[in-house]
Amino acid sequence: MIPLHWFGGNASLAHVRRDAFIAGLWRALPSLFATGIWGIVTGVAMVKSGLSPLQAAGMSLLVFAGSAQLAALPLIVAHAPIWVVLLTALVVNLRFVIFSAALYPYLKKLPLRRRVLLGYITADFGFAVGMARWINVPAEERGAPEHIWFLVGVAGGTWFVWQVTSILGIVLGAQVPSAWGLDFATVVALLALALPMISNSPALIGAVTAGIIAVLAASLPLRLGLVAAVIAGITAAMAVDVALEKKHA
Amino acid sequence: MSAIEIWVTTIGLALVTFITRNFFIVLGDAVRLPERVQHALRYAPACALTALIAPDVLAQNGAWAIGLANPKLVGALIAILTMLATRNTLATMALGMSAFFLVRALA
Repeated sequence: MIPLHWFGGNASLAHVRRDAFIAGLWRALPSLFATGIWGIVTGVAMVKSGLSPLQAAGMSLLVFAGSAQLAALPLIVAHAPIWVVLLTALVVNLRFVIFSAALYPYLKKLPLRRRVLLGYITADFGFAVGMARWINVPAEERGAPEHIWFLVGVAGGTWFVWQVTSILGIVLGAQVPSAWGLDFATVVALLALALPMISNSPALIGAVTAGIIAVLAASLPLRLGLVAAVIAGITAAMAVDVALEKKHA
Repeated sequence: MSAIEIWVTTIGLALVTFITRNFFIVLGDAVRLPERVQHALRYAPACALTALIAPDVLAQNGAWAIGLANPKLVGALIAILTMLATRNTLATMALGMSAFFLVRALA
C-alpha cells in the first residue's frame, strides 16, 4: 500500500516503521471526522474574520494550531495590537509546554531537526493518543522506532486532514454572506474548546473569574482588559489549587 | 488589520506555536518545572479562552446583557448544555448556532 523504501533502506527497520506508521493512521482514523469539522469551522472563521483566502490558507499551513488561530481571530477583528494577539495565543498554547516535557523521552533519540518538526505537528490529539498508547512502556525503551513512527502516523494523518478541511472551510466561508452571522461560529468553537479544559474546581473558578474581569475591564484600551482577566483568572485558579492541596495534605 | 499586519501576526502565531510545542523537546530534561508552575500552565488556556468569549457573549455595547433577548448568550448557553450532555462538537456547533439564529430572528 505504502512503498517500503519511503521508510529507509534497511528492510527490517523499514517494515517496523511502516507498520507503526500505518497503526498510527488507523488509530487516528475514527477521530479524523472531528478533526475535519474543526478544520472546516476554523477555515470559515478565518475568512469571516476578514482574512483573504490566501491569508487564511497561509495561517492554516504556517500556524497549525486551531485553538490559537480561533483565539486570534476576534482580536484581529477588533484591531487589537499584534502583541496582545500573540500574548493571547501564547497563553492558549501554554498547555503544549507541558505536553512537550512528556513527549521528550519518546523523541530524544532523533536529530534535533526531526524532533522539532514532529513536535511542531503534534497537537492535542496526537499527544493524547501517543501518551495513551505508551502508558506502559518502561523508561529505558522509550523512543524506539515504533513509538516515533506511530506518532508520525497519528500526527501526520491529523495534519493532512486538518489542512484539507481548513481549505474547504476557507472556500465555503468565502461563498457565505457575512450578514448570516457565521462569525458567531468562532465563539461557539472557542466554547467547545474551553469546556473540556475546565475539568476541576480550580479551573472552573479561574475561568469564571477571567470571564467576569474580562467583561468589567472590556473598555480598557489596547484590549488590556483581556490581559488583566487572564492574570486574574490564573491567580484565582492557583489560589484554589493551593487551598485544596493544603486541605488534602 | 492591514495585509502586512495580518502576515506579521501569522508569522508570530507560527513562532509562538513552534516554541510552545517544542519547549522541552529542545530543552530536554535539563530543566524541570515545579509542580505548581505546571498546574498554572494547565489552567491558563481555559482562562484565556473564557476571557476572550465572555465580553462578546455577556455584554452588548459596553453594558451587561444578561437575558433571553441576547442571541449570543442564548446560543452560548445552549452550546454549553449540549457540550456537557453529549461531548459532541458537531452537535454543539449545530445547536448553539441554531439557537443564536432563532433568537436573532425573533428579536
